[in-house]
Amino acid sequence: MKDQVTVIRGRPWLRGVRDAVPLLGGYIPVAVSFGLIANQAGFSSWEAIIISLVIYAGASQFLFVGMVASGAPLWLVVVMTLLINARHLVYAPNLAPWLSGSRWWPWLMHGLTDQIFALAHTRLPELSPSERMGWFTGAMLMAWFSWVGGTALGATAGQELTGRWPLLNDVMPFALPALFLVLLAPRFTSWLWTAALGCSISVALVFAINGLPNVAIPVAALIGAMAFFLVQSNTRAEV
Amino acid sequence: MTTELWGAVAVAAVGTLLLRLLPLVWMQRHLGRKDGQGGSASMPGWLGVLGPVMIAAMLGVSLVPPANTLNAWLATVVGVGATLFVWRRTRSLGWPVVWGVAAFGVVRLLSFVVT
Repeated sequence: MKDQVTVIRGRPWLRGVRDAVPLLGGYIPVAVSFGLIANQAGFSSWEAIIISLVIYAGASQFLFVGMVASGAPLWLVVVMTLLINARHLVYAPNLAPWLSGSRWWPWLMHGLTDQIFALAHTRLPELSPSERMGWFTGAMLMAWFSWVGGTALGATAGQELTGRWPLLNDVMPFALPALFLVLLAPRFTSWLWTAALGCSISVALVFAINGLPNVAIPVAALIGAMAFFLVQSNTRAEV
Repeated sequence: MTTELWGAVAVAAVGTLLLRLLPLVWMQRHLGRKDGQGGSASMPGWLGVLGPVMIAAMLGVSLVPPANTLNAWLATVVGVGATLFVWRRTRSLGWPVVWGVAAFGVVRLLSFVVT
């Protein structure tokens, strides 16, 4: 009986861990690169690992070590790091309707990265209220540990790894667009959503191709949302 | 690292956590005031739209391959096709990703072998 209870309790955790596995393909190669670059910028392996552990926000970490290495003033480094992460402001409110009032939820938001948000936004509504915290904890810990582990690997053996398997570094990051695609595909249910999502994808793609990946996400999302409300108001006017 | 640099890491870490945490506290209070209307129905309309379009923006950014070559773009198109094909058949999360990465990898590998 005791075992049965344990199995039931373990399920949401395990499902969260399993759902987060596709993220590793994107996280580990990028984290290895971060560890390597931080090392080259003069940070020790432990310092790189601590940055990944406590800041835990991909693009801003690259910016942080890059700006420090170039001798930028520290206040500017902090301001730029926070500006890049400002897009995270809209993630938690989007998940809030599916989160209980538990005092643990706010602390679990440390693991609310872009990818965990995308995953949770799809999965949380499908789970029962009692399963959600377990699922989220499993998924976010899996992603967090892979990020920190990848940083450690990159900081200690990054040069050797990327030299030995250059193709792996090139192929594994495709797991991220594949995952986003699977999360978004069920949402193409109407012209309204197709227009909004199509606009957002296209604008982000154009920005990223032109070397502006960090600006791309908030700008593309804003244009996608505008497209949504524009099509919606036109449809209402026609009716 | 110097003490000042450790301080910058700490401020960046706490600031990032607050950017993720405070909006949740705000939203939970907002939902608490509207008790009785659970779920996404009690969320402001614009916020419900912003979530999916943010994911779409992340997809757009991540579609740009690390190697910006014709073959890498071809591999992206093949990978996207394989992912969608397997998703239509399985409606699952893991397998479409596995097959998408595999298809992307095969095209990239062929380019390495040929050149």
